[in-house]
Formats: sequence, C-alpha cells, structure tokens
Amino acid sequence: MSFYLVQILNALSFSMLLMLTGLGLSVVLSLLNFVNLTHGSSFLLGAYVSIWWLGSGAPWWLAFPVAFLASALAGLVLERFPFRQFYTRTHLMQVLLTYGLSVIFADLMRWGFGAQIASPELPEILSGVIFVFDMPFPIYRLFIIVFGAVLALALWFVIDRTIWGAVVRACVTDRRFVETLGLDTKRIFTIVVAVAAGLGGLSGALGAGVLSAYPGLDEEQLILALIVVVVGGLGTFRGTVLSALLLGFTMTFTKVWIPEMSNVAALAIMALMLVIAPQGLVARKVRQV
Amino acid sequence: MSDTVKLQDAANGRAPAPSRQILALGVIAVLAALLPLVASDYQLRFVAEILIVGAAVLSLDLLVGYGGLVSLGHATLFGGAAYAAAVASRSLGADLTLMVGIGTLTGMVMAFITGIVVMRTIALFFLILTLIVGQIFWEIAFHWRDVTGGADGMRGLPTLSLNLGVTKLDLSSSFALYVTAAVLAFAAWAVARSFVNAPIGRALIGTRERQLRMSALGYDIARIRMMALLASGAIAGAAGSLYPFVNQYIGPNSMQWTFSAMMVVMLVIGGVGSLYGAFIGTAVYLGIQTYISSYTDRWQLVVGLIFVLTVMIMPRGIVHGVGSLFGGKGKQ
Repeated sequence: MSFYLVQILNALSFSMLLMLTGLGLSVVLSLLNFVNLTHGSSFLLGAYVSIWWLGSGAPWWLAFPVAFLASALAGLVLERFPFRQFYTRTHLMQVLLTYGLSVIFADLMRWGFGAQIASPELPEILSGVIFVFDMPFPIYRLFIIVFGAVLALALWFVIDRTIWGAVVRACVTDRRFVETLGLDTKRIFTIVVAVAAGLGGLSGALGAGVLSAYPGLDEEQLILALIVVVVGGLGTFRGTVLSALLLGFTMTFTKVWIPEMSNVAALAIMALMLVIAPQGLVARKVRQV
Repeated sequence: MSDTVKLQDAANGRAPAPSRQILALGVIAVLAALLPLVASDYQLRFVAEILIVGAAVLSLDLLVGYGGLVSLGHATLFGGAAYAAAVASRSLGADLTLMVGIGTLTGMVMAFITGIVVMRTIALFFLILTLIVGQIFWEIAFHWRDVTGGADGMRGLPTLSLNLGVTKLDLSSSFALYVTAAVLAFAAWAVARSFVNAPIGRALIGTRERQLRMSALGYDIARIRMMALLASGAIAGAAGSLYPFVNQYIGPNSMQWTFSAMMVVMLVIGGVGSLYGAFIGTAVYLGIQTYISSYTDRWQLVVGLIFVLTVMIMPRGIVHGVGSLFGGKGKQ
C-alpha cells in the first residue's frame, strides 16, 4: 500500500515537471499560434544556471528566480529576432526555424557548460528523505510537487482571474480588436514569450535536482513537452494539465510494472489517446470551412 | 493567390520542356559516369551514402512536399528496413535483390502500420503521432538485443553481392557500391516522379491544398494518404536496405527521431517539393558533417546556422511551394 503511495507521489512530481514545461509551450501556442521548439533549450539553460548558482554558494532559493530570469531574458531577445518575423508563417516554418535554433543552442551549451553530466548540490533543507508510512521519499520531489502546484495555480489565477490575463486572452480571440483599445499587442506578445521561456527555465531548474543536466536533455524534455501539449489539445490549459498527469502516471507506473518496455507502453498509450481524440483531449472549437 | 501559383507550378512540373529535362538528365549521367575516374575510394563511398540517404529524403518529400504531411518518424522506415536487411543478411547472405526486396517490403509494412495509426490526424498532430510511432519502433529495436544488438548495433555483416544465376558479382568495392547506390537513387527518383505525375499524385496535392473540397468531390482522403505513405515507405525501405552495407554497420541511431529531424533539415535545405532537391540537401548536410567536423567540434553549430539562415533568407526560394503545409493555419 505504502509502496503505491510512494509511486503515486513519484508520478505526481514527474507530472508537475511535465506540466510546467508543457505550460510554457502551450501558452505560446495558444496566444501566438507559434510553435516554439527552443523550449527544450530554455529548460536546459535553466537547469545549467541553477546548478551553477547552487554551486556558487549564494543563497540557494535564489537559484530558481535566477534560472527563470536567465531563460526569460534569452526568450526576450529571441522574440525580438527572429521569432517576431515568423508569427504569421505556417507551423512548418516555425518548427523549422525553432528546431534549427535549438540545434545551435544545444551546441553552444555543450561548448559553454561541457558535455559531462552536471548535478546540483542541493541545500540541506531539500536533500534527504521523509518517511511516508515507513517508505522513504525524497524531500526534493515533495518540493517539486508543492512548488509546481503553487506555480500552476498562480499561472491559472493570473490568466483566468486578473486583468492582465484578460488582456492576453483577448489577444488570442482578436488581436486587432485589442489594438483598437490602445494596447500594444507586440509588447504583450514579447512579455508572454519571455515568461513562457522563463517557465521553461524554471522547470529546468526544478528538474535538475532529479534529472541532472547533460547535452541531449533539452531534446528529451522538448519531446515530452510536445507530446503533453499535443495530446492535451493545442494550447488548452486544462488539456495540458490532464495530459501531463496522464503521461507522468503512465511513465511512472509502466516503469514499476514493465521496466523493459516502459517507454513503449507509455508512448503507445499517448498514441492511443491521439487516435481516439485526434484533436487532443480538450479540443479547441475550430470552424472548418 | 499563393495556392494558384502553387497549382500552376505543380502543373508545370508535370512536363517542363521534355528536351531540357533529357539534357539535364544526360549531363547528370555523364557527371556520374566521370566521378569514379577522379574520386578516391573513400569519396566514392561517401557519395554512395549521400545517394542512399538522399533517396530516403526524396521519399520524405513525397509526404512533405506533395501531401503536406510533415513526418518526424521517417527514419524509422529507413532504419527499420536497414535492420531487416542486416538481420536477414546474416542467415541468408547479402544478395542485392533479396536485400532490396526485404527492405522495400519492411518499409511498406512499417509505413502501413504507421498509416493506420496516423490516418485521422494532420499538421502538428500528425507530426507528433509519427514521432511517437517512430519512437515506439526505435524502443523495440533498442531493447531487442538478441536480434538487433541493442545500443551496439550490428557489425560484421556479409558483403553485398548480386546473384546473376551463372555467376555471383561481388559488390563490396567502393565503385560497385557507388554504382548500386546511383541506380537505386535514379530508380527512386523515377518511381517518385511517376507517382507524383499519376492521378494519385495529383489527388495527393489536392488533399494538401483543399482537403474539404477533395472529400466533397468524393475522394477518399485517408486512402490517398495511405497510398502516399506506402509509396514513400517502399522507397525509404529500398534505400534503407543498402544502408548497412555502406559501412558494414547499422546502429539504433538510424531509427531515432533525431535522424528523422535531420532528414527534414536535409529536405528543407535542398528544397521541398522538387524531389531532386533531396539529394542536394543531403549532400550539403553530410558534406558539412563530414568535412567541417574534421576542422572543428562545432560542426552542429555550423549546420544549425546554415539551416536557420536557409529558413530565414530563402523560405520562398528553397521551400518553394509549401506555403500552406499546415492547412494554412499559420496564415490567419
């Protein structure tokens, strides 16, 4: 019983990471109709920055805001050039551009941070285990669950309940109309892309404690995030949360039950979801003419 | 507006002044015949690799350029056929016709399985679903150590030969490999071209341009796309069956999604929707990989930069005729 409780907690912490990474991608996709494949690079950058920060001896809790800021800054620069030129292009062109960029960033990071696996020195308060019904469970994973849940709630609150969120949502519905109200939508877009990239960096910083950081992690995370976003239904908040939970739980429990074939089983389940619901779990209503 | 231009281009592509085309083919044939006189063994083998991978990229062009279906699982068909040929060669010997036959069949079967799964999806959903299916195949190949060698791949394969009934022709030399690859590349191009120009190819372009109108006209979109997938899988499979014999090695990387992404990169650098552009793109990519990597470790940076610059500076010129690949969704 307690074994399964621990596994459920494991699955939850993994789902939180998937969700945070997926949400960044999902927000940009729904607002700008822009497929940003450099999101994996943001993740890895955040992971490297937090590892570097934790190793430097500065206050540990600042590692997360710093990772957020670093990736957000990179996102901000990228949005100015060249993302902005590609908002009106087809998804294919966006995929190609951002995939090419992610190849460049992957190589730059390999250059800058080295090709070996880097793990963070976790602060004392986050390392160690607590006992859940006599089963040890890493405190850090609990931290991911709480942190992720708080962040997702905050994000939902901002998007759904505040005036800023209303403006962003209005941009999704009708950008021109928002402009007639005197709002600079370009600036809104810039902020959204930067925040989304920052979210990617933040999830990287969080994930580094479990996954470490190494060349290739960016692509792994990107693929998982893409699967989460697409299976959830393009750019829907609820869908992303649902499919992150689905993928997190299937990947964790298939590893428990059939370790050899865990990825095959998890991927097959996600494929099955797409076969059953080709538009994603929560489909946006689109008029087809 | 752009749609009409594209359709005209496609129509022109059907028969752009036959005499000029024959001339172009003649020039290429002469150049291809002269190459072995000047190139070293190593270079010939390298050109053979370009031709083989290029044929696979060309088959991807059928899907991307004509069907508007961007697949991230194409390497699976190529690599899967390569594995099938390599495994078969161990017990049956590496006879060329047998290898190509097995490869083609494997490519088609895998394309069929993929097709059943992805049939109802388009655009980003298609992209991700082909990726997932491809990764499932990759996981199987990676974990099936007894047959595929797992992460180590397979080495020590028998050399390629051609059984002519009375005599057995050894195809292990670089020159023979180059000729085989060139024949395969030409055959792949001819098959793909006749597919594109046949009614089924026209219908495929129709499904890309106006899906709703095509189904209103009574076309079975799923069937057309499946045919394209099968043709593409057959070519990719035939190309894949030769791949293990270039370096007498086949590894799981040849099935991974990153290789699929590489194929898309090659295709875009070369030019989508032109068929022959696939070979140009492959040559550029593999050329950079092989020659720049001997000067610097940062060759991926160079490939990335060239790719991004291609996408940014020559989106119309190189990716000519793929404007509404994703159903025009990005155009709104």
